[in-house]
Amino acid sequence: MSSAKPRPRWLFLITPRWLAWHAFAVFAAWGMLWLGDWQFHRAEGGNALSWAYTFEWPIFTIFGVVFWAKTIIDEYRSPRGAVTSAAGAVAGSPGPAGDSLPGRAHTAVAEDEQAGEDPELAAYNAYLARLNSRTAAG
Amino acid sequence: MSPQLVRLAVRAYRTMAYVTGTMLCILVFICIPLQVWAHNDVPVDIVGTLHGILYIIYIVIAFAMTRAVRMKVASPGTIIVLAAGTIPVLTFVVERWVSRTYIAPALAGAAPSEQQPVLR
Repeated sequence: MSSAKPRPRWLFLITPRWLAWHAFAVFAAWGMLWLGDWQFHRAEGGNALSWAYTFEWPIFTIFGVVFWAKTIIDEYRSPRGAVTSAAGAVAGSPGPAGDSLPGRAHTAVAEDEQAGEDPELAAYNAYLARLNSRTAAG
Repeated sequence: MSPQLVRLAVRAYRTMAYVTGTMLCILVFICIPLQVWAHNDVPVDIVGTLHGILYIIYIVIAFAMTRAVRMKVASPGTIIVLAAGTIPVLTFVVERWVSRTYIAPALAGAAPSEQQPVLR
């Protein structure tokens, strides 16, 4: 936290890696819709199985769009810097090295605070404490 | 997210991974050979449709699980988990790998030792 004005968080969206990801998302969505259209024509031609795929491809397209949006939301909420996370987004190793336990715990706490999940967690802890005192008393 | 919810997500994911994986194995190793060599389209029509529906359920549940154990959305791990439902046998391998790499640490972190005794 220096005196310099911090970069706006959304700027990670226009880094080359993320631009490539956006391009891939558009291409994939278009491709899946095209496949759905192709299956629709096959279905009209008398292929019974194609009717199922006619409906499945648009569902996959919707999921793909949701997934793409989630990557952005996830990155935006990430407490780590945009640059390191963007690098991790494509080239990052999912192995234990990048996800050692103390680091994970720390990230989890920070995310909880940001996502406003703290009241839920507090309520849960209070519930546990209540149970605990009850067992201790009884 | 409470530890119970994480466990529920993991259990749902494991169920769907095995059901979807089994259905895909039946489709690829039994039904498609029947279609190609015995010219019988019926098994592929039935099992293919079934796997399509199961995969849609799988992808939603698996994605919920990756969020529950706090895997990053834009990570190779998440993409491998979601794609595994379309490649024969891979769901079984990926389920074991995810359990070891993400689920076990997440469950260990989600239920600290002082909370565990009161849960049951």
